[in-house]
Amino acid sequence: MSHVPVPVLRRMQDEPLAVPDADRRHLAGCARCQDARRAAEADAAFAARVLGPPPADPDTSAEWQKLVARLRAPVPLPAGSRRPARDAARAPRRLPRRLAASLSTGTAVTAGVLLVGAAAAATLTTVYAPTHVAPVPVTGSDLSALQSITNLAQALTGGLSSRGPTTLPFGQVTWHAAGQARKVASLAEAQAQTGLTRLVPAQLPQGIGAVRGIIVQPQVTATLKFNANAGHGVGGSTLTVRGGPGVLVQFGGQPGQPAPGTLVVATMRRPVATSTGATANQLEDFLLDQPGVPPLLAQEIRMIGQSALPVPVPSGMTQENVTVGGSPAVLLHGPAGAASGVVWESGDGVVHAVAGLVTSADILNVARQLS
Amino acid sequence: MEASYVTRTGPPPGATFSAFERFFRENYATVVRIAHGVTGDAQAAQDVAQDVFVSAFRRFPDPDGAPEAAGWVRAAAAHTSLNAIRGERRRDRRQQECAAAPPPDSPEESVLAAESRAEVRRALQRLPRRSAAVLVLRHSGLSYAEVAEAMNVSVGHVGTMLRRAESALRKELQK
Repeated sequence: MSHVPVPVLRRMQDEPLAVPDADRRHLAGCARCQDARRAAEADAAFAARVLGPPPADPDTSAEWQKLVARLRAPVPLPAGSRRPARDAARAPRRLPRRLAASLSTGTAVTAGVLLVGAAAAATLTTVYAPTHVAPVPVTGSDLSALQSITNLAQALTGGLSSRGPTTLPFGQVTWHAAGQARKVASLAEAQAQTGLTRLVPAQLPQGIGAVRGIIVQPQVTATLKFNANAGHGVGGSTLTVRGGPGVLVQFGGQPGQPAPGTLVVATMRRPVATSTGATANQLEDFLLDQPGVPPLLAQEIRMIGQSALPVPVPSGMTQENVTVGGSPAVLLHGPAGAASGVVWESGDGVVHAVAGLVTSADILNVARQLS
Repeated sequence: MEASYVTRTGPPPGATFSAFERFFRENYATVVRIAHGVTGDAQAAQDVAQDVFVSAFRRFPDPDGAPEAAGWVRAAAAHTSLNAIRGERRRDRRQQECAAAPPPDSPEESVLAAESRAEVRRALQRLPRRSAAVLVLRHSGLSYAEVAEAMNVSVGHVGTMLRRAESALRKELQK
């Protein structure tokens, strides 16, 4: 007779009656199978020890009452107000700060944009219009979990590049741009095409030279049409997130400098999300119920606040909360202090970002000229 | 933009709590055990259980007509708690608790101290998700058939997964 399969040897320890008699007879006379069984038993015993003893019996009745209270609790929420965290009694959680190298920042930001847009749209029933920025430490592990189960990040990345419809497990995303991103010849032209002003500072940091390029990005619209069977009442509804237009101005270094400086100034209309055909909490519940959406990421997004625009904080970057022109701003700088960036939203619904191979002080000096 | 008042988690129209209460009482302790196997923290396990049953109520308001509901909450307990241990706050708290524990005085306690709870959680995170899930499901006391139902695999495959997962856990902790 052949040797006893390893899984059977393992099960023999837990459920001996489920193991065929023939296997038991073979085991009694086979030294090799006995060795394999001892190894399986040792690993199982080790796992049992380190996974710890079971907890004391919980008070099921008390926990049931807590659950009923939670299920019945209506939360009156005037549109436009900040929404409370799902369970205000629980302490806010911080996301781990490691960003997996396997995921690009672009993918992280792209996946986050739709999730944030969906959560925010749910919050305000129909409209998301952030008024300030807030940092979000985006983690690779969270996004890996998201990607592995729903393929959302991958699908979205593909969708961005193709601008065509992309099928998700629960619907279809269509990206539409009012035009291709393109270089323009002057700041005046960029202003005329986008209506955006204050695109560059009057005074540049030392080492920063002339404008090297000006790029205009027309408005981009992402439309997520949920499948009819999507559940939670969102089936057939549509979520639309609009971003832009925007302008990106890139500066070069000054001739003769040993390490040419680089600075970019980005200006864009804040993203706005609208939802039709589904209520606020239907959308939120659906989003949170997706098995691929890591709960911590969803909770962090919700806790950030419904009027905030999350700013992803990549691993290795230090983040500080500062103000620019009286508005909250997120200042990021690298470990050596050689690279910095700041993002804020001014009171007129315009999001600004300044980044470059300059110090934090220089970045803030540029930012405050734009406010 | 219209002003609106929304009910976040109220029961669906016509739904009652009676059937769900039976389901809750039958499964609550199991869900807490599974979550405790991952979090190592009684309060954290109860938090996870509350979240799991809130989601379960939305999905199965009448669990009597949903034979898959029990397996669903068990799998949800494993995955929700595995997600939860990524939170630094809880991990830090566990590490502090480990650091404050009295010196071990028995071989069993010595093993537990050496393979501290925090190290175990980190090891669970490094395992493939399904391996970690099968470990905590089985070691919470579920039978092979119950683990198979929760994991949506055959009973025979549970032994294979479990053997590999236990071996991998030991290797992770004895690196």
